[in-house]
Amino acid sequence: MPQVHVRLFAGLHDLVGKRDLVLDLPAGATIGLLRERLGEEYPVVQPFLATLVCAVDEEYVPSGHLLRDGDDVALIPPISGGAA
Amino acid sequence: MFAITREPLDPMPLVESVRRDECGAVVLFYGVVRNENRGRSVRYLEYDAYEPMALKKLRAVADEVRAKFPVTGVGVLHRIGRLEVGETSLLVAVSAGHRREAFEACHYAVDRIKETVPIWKKEVWEDGSEWIEGHVPEVPGAG
Repeated sequence: MPQVHVRLFAGLHDLVGKRDLVLDLPAGATIGLLRERLGEEYPVVQPFLATLVCAVDEEYVPSGHLLRDGDDVALIPPISGGAA
Repeated sequence: MFAITREPLDPMPLVESVRRDECGAVVLFYGVVRNENRGRSVRYLEYDAYEPMALKKLRAVADEVRAKFPVTGVGVLHRIGRLEVGETSLLVAVSAGHRREAFEACHYAVDRIKETVPIWKKEVWEDGSEWIEGHVPEVPGAG
Protein backbone atom coordinates (compact mmCIF):
# COMPACT_ATOMS: atom_id res chain seq x y z
CA MET A 1 0.00 0.00 0.00
CA PRO A 2 1.79 3.14 -1.14
CA GLN A 3 2.26 5.92 1.34
CA VAL A 4 3.15 9.18 -0.39
CA HIS A 5 4.51 12.49 0.79
CA VAL A 6 2.56 15.48 -0.57
CA ARG A 7 3.93 19.03 -0.76
CA LEU A 8 1.73 22.13 -0.82
CA PHE A 9 2.63 25.60 -2.04
CA ALA A 10 1.21 29.09 -2.45
CA GLY A 11 -2.61 29.25 -2.12
CA LEU A 12 -2.90 25.55 -1.24
CA HIS A 13 -0.39 25.97 1.58
CA ASP A 14 -2.44 28.90 2.95
CA LEU A 15 -5.78 27.07 2.66
CA VAL A 16 -4.73 23.73 4.13
CA GLY A 17 -2.41 25.37 6.64
CA LYS A 18 0.32 22.76 6.12
CA ARG A 19 3.38 22.53 3.92
CA ASP A 20 3.33 18.69 3.85
CA LEU A 21 0.82 15.86 4.08
CA VAL A 22 1.15 12.10 4.15
CA LEU A 23 -1.48 10.07 2.26
CA ASP A 24 -2.05 6.31 2.39
CA LEU A 25 -3.31 5.06 -0.95
CA PRO A 26 -4.40 1.63 -2.19
CA ALA A 27 -2.04 -0.48 -4.29
CA GLY A 28 -2.08 0.57 -7.94
CA ALA A 29 -3.03 4.16 -7.07
CA THR A 30 -2.42 6.82 -9.70
CA ILE A 31 -2.09 10.58 -9.56
CA GLY A 32 -5.76 10.69 -10.61
CA LEU A 33 -6.77 8.75 -7.50
CA LEU A 34 -4.57 10.91 -5.29
CA ARG A 35 -6.36 13.99 -6.65
CA GLU A 36 -9.79 12.47 -5.88
CA ARG A 37 -8.65 11.49 -2.39
CA LEU A 38 -7.30 14.96 -1.72
CA GLY A 39 -10.58 16.53 -2.74
CA GLU A 40 -12.46 14.24 -0.33
CA GLU A 41 -10.13 14.67 2.63
CA TYR A 42 -9.51 18.39 2.11
CA PRO A 43 -12.64 19.93 0.55
CA VAL A 44 -10.86 23.34 0.40
CA VAL A 45 -8.63 21.80 -2.28
CA GLN A 46 -11.61 20.86 -4.49
CA PRO A 47 -11.85 24.15 -6.43
CA PHE A 48 -8.13 23.91 -7.28
CA LEU A 49 -8.28 20.44 -8.79
CA ALA A 50 -9.34 21.51 -12.30
CA THR A 51 -6.13 23.45 -12.88
CA LEU A 52 -3.83 21.53 -10.55
CA VAL A 53 -0.82 19.72 -12.00
CA CYS A 54 1.24 17.23 -10.02
CA ALA A 55 4.98 16.62 -10.01
CA VAL A 56 6.66 13.42 -8.83
CA ASP A 57 10.36 13.54 -8.04
CA GLU A 58 10.49 17.07 -9.49
CA GLU A 59 8.94 16.24 -12.89
CA TYR A 60 5.40 17.04 -14.08
CA VAL A 61 3.37 13.82 -14.50
CA PRO A 62 -0.02 12.98 -16.07
CA SER A 63 -3.08 11.67 -14.15
CA GLY A 64 -2.34 8.08 -15.15
CA HIS A 65 1.09 8.09 -13.49
CA LEU A 66 1.39 5.15 -11.09
CA LEU A 67 2.44 5.99 -7.54
CA ARG A 68 4.97 3.98 -5.56
CA ASP A 69 5.54 3.81 -1.83
CA GLY A 70 7.63 6.76 -0.66
CA ASP A 71 6.93 8.96 -3.69
CA ASP A 72 7.30 12.68 -3.27
CA VAL A 73 4.31 14.41 -4.89
CA ALA A 74 4.13 18.19 -5.29
CA LEU A 75 0.78 19.90 -5.96
CA ILE A 76 1.40 22.64 -8.50
CA PRO A 77 -1.38 25.23 -8.94
CA PRO A 78 -0.98 27.53 -11.99
CA ILE A 79 2.45 29.10 -11.76
CA SER A 80 3.16 32.83 -11.72
CA GLY A 81 6.89 33.32 -11.33
CA GLY A 82 9.16 35.29 -13.59
CA ALA A 83 8.34 38.73 -14.88
CA ALA A 84 5.27 40.79 -15.70
CA MET B 1 24.91 30.54 -12.92
CA PHE B 2 21.44 29.53 -11.69
CA ALA B 3 19.86 30.24 -8.31
CA ILE B 4 16.62 30.60 -6.36
CA THR B 5 17.40 32.90 -3.44
CA ARG B 6 15.82 35.07 -0.76
CA GLU B 7 18.64 37.60 -1.03
CA PRO B 8 18.61 40.72 -3.27
CA LEU B 9 19.85 39.88 -6.78
CA ASP B 10 23.25 41.13 -7.95
CA PRO B 11 23.44 41.39 -11.76
CA MET B 12 27.20 41.75 -12.27
CA PRO B 13 28.35 38.24 -11.23
CA LEU B 14 25.59 36.82 -13.46
CA VAL B 15 26.75 38.88 -16.46
CA GLU B 16 30.36 37.80 -15.83
CA SER B 17 29.27 34.14 -15.64
CA VAL B 18 27.75 34.22 -19.16
CA ARG B 19 30.29 36.51 -20.86
CA ARG B 20 32.85 34.80 -23.12
CA ASP B 21 35.64 36.30 -25.20
CA GLU B 22 33.89 35.13 -28.39
CA CYS B 23 30.61 36.88 -27.59
CA GLY B 24 29.86 40.37 -28.84
CA ALA B 25 26.57 40.82 -26.98
CA VAL B 26 25.19 40.22 -23.51
CA VAL B 27 21.49 40.88 -22.90
CA LEU B 28 20.44 41.25 -19.27
CA PHE B 29 16.72 41.19 -18.41
CA TYR B 30 15.41 42.56 -15.10
CA GLY B 31 11.94 41.58 -13.89
CA VAL B 32 10.94 44.29 -11.41
CA VAL B 33 8.07 44.59 -8.90
CA ARG B 34 5.51 47.06 -10.25
CA ASN B 35 3.32 49.23 -8.01
CA GLU B 36 0.04 48.22 -9.66
CA ASN B 37 -1.61 45.29 -11.41
CA ARG B 38 -5.00 45.15 -13.14
CA GLY B 39 -5.90 48.54 -11.68
CA ARG B 40 -5.03 47.69 -8.08
CA SER B 41 -2.27 49.32 -6.14
CA VAL B 42 0.31 46.71 -5.05
CA ARG B 43 2.04 47.15 -1.67
CA TYR B 44 4.48 44.27 -2.05
CA LEU B 45 4.80 40.76 -3.50
CA GLU B 46 5.44 37.45 -1.80
CA TYR B 47 7.00 34.67 -3.90
CA ASP B 48 6.81 30.97 -3.01
CA ALA B 49 8.71 28.22 -4.85
CA TYR B 50 9.24 24.49 -4.95
CA GLU B 51 12.92 25.30 -4.74
CA PRO B 52 14.75 22.16 -5.93
CA MET B 53 12.34 21.66 -8.83
CA ALA B 54 12.38 25.36 -9.74
CA LEU B 55 16.17 25.26 -9.95
CA LYS B 56 16.02 22.13 -12.10
CA LYS B 57 13.46 23.79 -14.41
CA LEU B 58 15.57 26.96 -14.73
CA ARG B 59 18.43 24.77 -15.95
CA ALA B 60 16.05 22.97 -18.35
CA VAL B 61 14.96 26.33 -19.81
CA ALA B 62 18.63 27.20 -20.36
CA ASP B 63 19.16 23.84 -22.14
CA GLU B 64 16.18 24.61 -24.38
CA VAL B 65 17.59 28.05 -25.16
CA ARG B 66 21.00 26.61 -26.04
CA ALA B 67 19.38 24.01 -28.33
CA LYS B 68 17.29 26.65 -30.12
CA PHE B 69 19.61 29.65 -30.45
CA PRO B 70 23.35 30.03 -31.16
CA VAL B 71 24.14 31.46 -27.73
CA THR B 72 27.35 31.17 -25.75
CA GLY B 73 26.00 31.47 -22.22
CA VAL B 74 22.72 31.57 -20.25
CA GLY B 75 22.20 32.34 -16.56
CA VAL B 76 19.10 32.92 -14.40
CA LEU B 77 18.55 34.17 -10.84
CA HIS B 78 15.05 34.25 -9.29
CA ARG B 79 14.38 35.88 -5.95
CA ILE B 80 11.63 34.57 -3.63
CA GLY B 81 10.12 35.68 -0.32
CA ARG B 82 8.89 39.25 0.23
CA LEU B 83 9.78 41.80 -2.45
CA GLU B 84 9.02 45.51 -2.28
CA VAL B 85 7.96 47.71 -5.21
CA GLY B 86 11.00 48.46 -7.38
CA GLU B 87 12.97 45.39 -6.30
CA THR B 88 14.19 42.83 -8.83
CA SER B 89 12.52 39.41 -8.84
CA LEU B 90 14.20 37.94 -11.91
CA LEU B 91 17.49 38.33 -13.77
CA VAL B 92 18.14 36.53 -17.05
CA ALA B 93 21.48 37.00 -18.82
CA VAL B 94 22.26 35.64 -22.28
CA SER B 95 25.45 36.04 -24.27
CA ALA B 96 25.89 35.42 -27.99
CA GLY B 97 28.16 36.29 -30.87
CA HIS B 98 25.77 38.99 -32.03
CA ARG B 99 22.95 41.08 -30.56
CA ARG B 100 20.00 39.58 -32.46
CA GLU B 101 20.45 36.04 -31.10
CA ALA B 102 21.10 37.41 -27.62
CA PHE B 103 17.86 39.48 -27.61
CA GLU B 104 15.73 36.67 -29.09
CA ALA B 105 17.12 33.99 -26.79
CA CYS B 106 16.66 36.17 -23.70
CA HIS B 107 13.05 36.93 -24.68
CA TYR B 108 12.38 33.21 -25.19
CA ALA B 109 13.98 32.31 -21.84
CA VAL B 110 11.84 34.83 -19.92
CA ASP B 111 8.66 33.46 -21.56
CA ARG B 112 9.57 29.82 -20.83
CA ILE B 113 10.40 30.59 -17.20
CA LYS B 114 6.84 31.87 -16.75
CA GLU B 115 5.45 28.69 -18.35
CA THR B 116 7.48 25.96 -16.65
CA VAL B 117 9.14 26.98 -13.38
CA PRO B 118 7.16 26.19 -10.17
CA ILE B 119 7.18 29.63 -8.57
CA TRP B 120 4.11 31.55 -7.35
CA LYS B 121 3.46 35.21 -6.71
CA LYS B 122 1.10 36.67 -4.12
CA GLU B 123 0.05 40.30 -4.60
CA VAL B 124 -0.55 42.17 -1.37
CA TRP B 125 -2.80 45.23 -1.64
CA GLU B 126 -3.97 47.76 0.96
CA ASP B 127 -7.17 45.77 1.48
CA GLY B 128 -6.28 42.14 0.83
CA SER B 129 -4.10 39.74 -1.10
CA GLU B 130 -4.27 37.03 -3.73
CA TRP B 131 -2.05 34.26 -5.11
CA ILE B 132 -1.88 34.96 -8.83
CA GLU B 133 -2.79 32.04 -11.10
CA GLY B 134 -0.72 32.24 -14.26
CA HIS B 135 0.20 29.28 -16.46
CA VAL B 136 -0.82 25.65 -16.10
CA PRO B 137 2.47 23.85 -16.85
CA GLU B 138 2.52 21.41 -19.76
CA VAL B 139 2.56 17.78 -18.65
CA PRO B 140 4.51 15.36 -20.85
CA GLY B 141 2.36 12.49 -22.12
CA ALA B 142 -0.94 14.12 -21.12
CA GLY B 143 -2.02 14.45 -24.76
